[in-house]
Amino acid sequence: MNSPQTKNRIELTKVCKSFALPAGSFQALKEINLTIPSGQLVAITGKSGSGKSTLLNMIAGIDKPTNGHVVVNGVQVEKLSESSLATWRGKNIGVVFQFFQLLPTLTILENVMLPMDFCNSYPKSVRRERALSLLELVNIREQADKLPATLSGGQQQRAAIARALANDPPILIADEPTGNLDSQTATSIFELFASLTKSGKTVIIVTHEKDFSAYFENVVALADGAILN
Amino acid sequence: MPTRFYKVLRDLLSDPAKSWMLIVSIALGVFGIGTILGSYSVIQREMKDNYMNTVPASATIEVDSAISQELVDSIKSIQGIAEAERHASVVARMKVGEKWYPLLLFVIDDFEKKRTNKYEWISGVPYPALGSMLVERTAYGMMQAKEGDELLIKIANGIPQKIKLTGTVHDAGLAPAWQEQSGYGYISLASLHSLGVTQGFDQLRILVSEHNDSKTHIQEYAQKVANVLSSKGYEVHEIQVPPPGKHPHQGQMTTVMRIFIVFSFLILILGSILVATSISTIMVKQIRQIGVMKTIGANSTQIATLYFLMIVMVSTIALLMAVPLSRLAASSFNNQLAVLLNIEIRNSFIPNWVPLLQVVAGILIPILITSLPIVRGSRISVKKALDNTGVNPNSLNKNQWVIKFSQLSFLSEVTRLSIRNVFRQQARLLMTLGLLAAGGAMFMTAMNVAQAWNENLKLIYVQRLYDLEVRLNEPIDADSIVAKLKKLNGVATVEAWNYTSTSFSKNSKFEITRTYPDKGHGSFSMQAVPIGTSVLNPSVVEGTWLQSPMAREVVLNQSSRGSWQIGDSVKLTIDGNSIAWKIIGFTVDVGSPALAYVSFDAFGEVTKRPKKSKMLRIGYFDRSKQSAYAKNKEVESLLEKEKVAINTTIPVWLLHNAIAGHMKILINTLLAMAVLMALVGTLGLMSTMSMNILERTREIGTMRAIGATPATINKLIILEGMLIGSLSLIISFVLSLALSSYMGNKIGHLAFRTPLSLSISLTGVAIWIAIILIGSYIATWYPAKRANRITTREALAHE
Repeated sequence: MNSPQTKNRIELTKVCKSFALPAGSFQALKEINLTIPSGQLVAITGKSGSGKSTLLNMIAGIDKPTNGHVVVNGVQVEKLSESSLATWRGKNIGVVFQFFQLLPTLTILENVMLPMDFCNSYPKSVRRERALSLLELVNIREQADKLPATLSGGQQQRAAIARALANDPPILIADEPTGNLDSQTATSIFELFASLTKSGKTVIIVTHEKDFSAYFENVVALADGAILN
Repeated sequence: MPTRFYKVLRDLLSDPAKSWMLIVSIALGVFGIGTILGSYSVIQREMKDNYMNTVPASATIEVDSAISQELVDSIKSIQGIAEAERHASVVARMKVGEKWYPLLLFVIDDFEKKRTNKYEWISGVPYPALGSMLVERTAYGMMQAKEGDELLIKIANGIPQKIKLTGTVHDAGLAPAWQEQSGYGYISLASLHSLGVTQGFDQLRILVSEHNDSKTHIQEYAQKVANVLSSKGYEVHEIQVPPPGKHPHQGQMTTVMRIFIVFSFLILILGSILVATSISTIMVKQIRQIGVMKTIGANSTQIATLYFLMIVMVSTIALLMAVPLSRLAASSFNNQLAVLLNIEIRNSFIPNWVPLLQVVAGILIPILITSLPIVRGSRISVKKALDNTGVNPNSLNKNQWVIKFSQLSFLSEVTRLSIRNVFRQQARLLMTLGLLAAGGAMFMTAMNVAQAWNENLKLIYVQRLYDLEVRLNEPIDADSIVAKLKKLNGVATVEAWNYTSTSFSKNSKFEITRTYPDKGHGSFSMQAVPIGTSVLNPSVVEGTWLQSPMAREVVLNQSSRGSWQIGDSVKLTIDGNSIAWKIIGFTVDVGSPALAYVSFDAFGEVTKRPKKSKMLRIGYFDRSKQSAYAKNKEVESLLEKEKVAINTTIPVWLLHNAIAGHMKILINTLLAMAVLMALVGTLGLMSTMSMNILERTREIGTMRAIGATPATINKLIILEGMLIGSLSLIISFVLSLALSSYMGNKIGHLAFRTPLSLSISLTGVAIWIAIILIGSYIATWYPAKRANRITTREALAHE
């Protein structure tokens, strides 16, 4: 049982990540020590190749550190098997991608219901209603029965956020979620993320957008795989 | 229904052309299996039932003179004998148009109470009156007559007489008349006598009351009966014990059907490989989706289940289409086989295990074959899946030879790129090559075997340097007739031979053969050949041909050689006497039953009838069928004029037709299967190529952005398809040689008891090359067109 202080907390201790490339080894993360308390909207910033996405992948269990530990909500992520990770991630981490990555042959509603199906997290009878209420939350309920390709980029990203929230994960991570959107839509997306933190969720966003710094409670600046601030 | 299942369903519906291709690929195999197994199960059952319904005699004992009814009754009373019946069969000739054909006459003792080798009466009079006969239904075609017509027939040295065809029967124990190129008739003894033959019932057919499926038991009782006949003063010529309970064509049909079964399973396996290739391609295309699904909580098992479910859905639709269609096809195939076997399909019910097996095979085989790409694809890590760009960046690094080869100075840049593109997705390339190579190999095998079959048939003319065989009623001193025949215009050569039925002496008192009542199937003959014969070109495969006129030496053909070795002494029966011969050689004859060749002079000495001949073999300068018709007529007229009684005449073209007729359906079905193989193979190439192009849409956009024209893109893509097709050609050709050798061996043994020689059908190779090249072109033309149609911006934005 996690204490209130450690609940949903993210702790990275001496996390290193290196990749073997034909030209030699490349160190993407260098001894990262980072603690993110729950309920914050945190930005990870940095130039291209600074290690932002790698850091995000460590937190989501998408990639494993070469050295060091990643503890999320009391669970040492790198120790989980690929299969346990999938289930754990489904229930604890909501992921939002830059290019939305909605499944093209499923409707928006079905896309949102899919995580509940995979993780068997809600009874079948309530999944549809929950998905609709999430679409309501992100203001695209009327688009529920449409296929992703018929929606605008902003609407697709809202749908992706609804999908990320499907299993009610305490942590949301988003890799440049507004990188493919106009500034007006981007603002609305950031507002949505900010509103989610009010309900206690931790939101970590990799972004280049400096115009939205007001939304962030914490900014982790990376350069050459190390935290600057 | 769980949400994830919607994804499977929609993925299938989103590309109907692709989904239909998957369905058709499996359906073809399931259809093949259902048709062949459905047919096999019904034919095996019906062939046995038809044959057993004729109550085939356990044994037939041939004696030298007429058997009385009292004797038959006394034989019936022997314990262990359930039935006894006297019978006679006479080889006559019938005139059809201007030609004489063999006519096998069965002389029936009691038409009303026939007890063995029964036939089924169909129409006309059931019991033929004096001067009339019943006809087996398949013989009307040979006779070019119908019920109620008259037929001119001639028996031995009797004069030709007309006989009325008053009734029709179906005798399931006989091969179709057109296949044997002979007529079948059923007459009374009185009618036989009216045709000028004094012969009585010289055969006794018996039915054992127990163990009627045991050859040993039957032989034991047949010998008991033969002993009784012998003790009553009869000379027993031969005991005929055909394989118990087996239709004359049962072994042949079983082997043929087994070959078909193997082929139909191969089609299903090919179809499944195609499905595996396609599924693997779909997974590569959906690799990011797999990554996303894993990110939102799906584990590898759930992902694999999705794609297995896709296979099950595809298979289920394929089964729904193929199972009913295969039942219709099996029924149609059965009708053809029934004609071929001269049987009646009384119960066309296909046993439930057939559709059950179709369901199991149609689902399990595709699942098994696709399991590798599915399991591998579903176990990909999230990071790899999300980072995937559609191409393995390391694949070319591992194959430096590809890079080096493509750098040859005479190759253009486009050719270079095409060569490298071929090897980018190596696992898929291997699957596609495997699919095409297997399809091509089987296609070419079918064509090769068909050609080898035809070439082997031609050997009939190569080995037989005569065109007409005349079997005489009585042994004659043939010198003068041979001289007269030689003077006929167009006659190249004439030889006087001798022959008799024989068997391997097994220390039993009587000669036991495996001959069926039609006298052809299962027979074993001895042919007495003049040394230095010029009408036979034997293919001696071991030892030597006959050289010494008076030596007791024998050459056996492949159907009689068994496990004998050169130098062995073998005892062969001649007219009931067991004579020892030394084996000096083995031949391979095309289209002969079991034969033992001995010297004409040695045979004369053994039979104490030196210089006597019962067979004339006549060769013509012009060996064409048309010319042979006319010459045969002249020969027969001369023999009639010289009062030489002809038992039967066998033109070599007739023998050729009879053998070709036996296996025609096998060759045709093999070719039909080859077409199915070609279809599956081409579908495979089209599927792979279109997927190869689709996943490189973005790359094509990049090339367009840096200046590639649509023509260049077209050339690049089409060349890639052609390269894959050409690679598969080499593999399939090599594979086809091995497969052709195997199939030729099987089919050759079935038909000729010797393997078919390996023959490469250039037509087959040319057709397959054309299929591959045209298929590659079509398979790449459309995706190339589609790739060129989308704008550079769209292509670059393609995920």
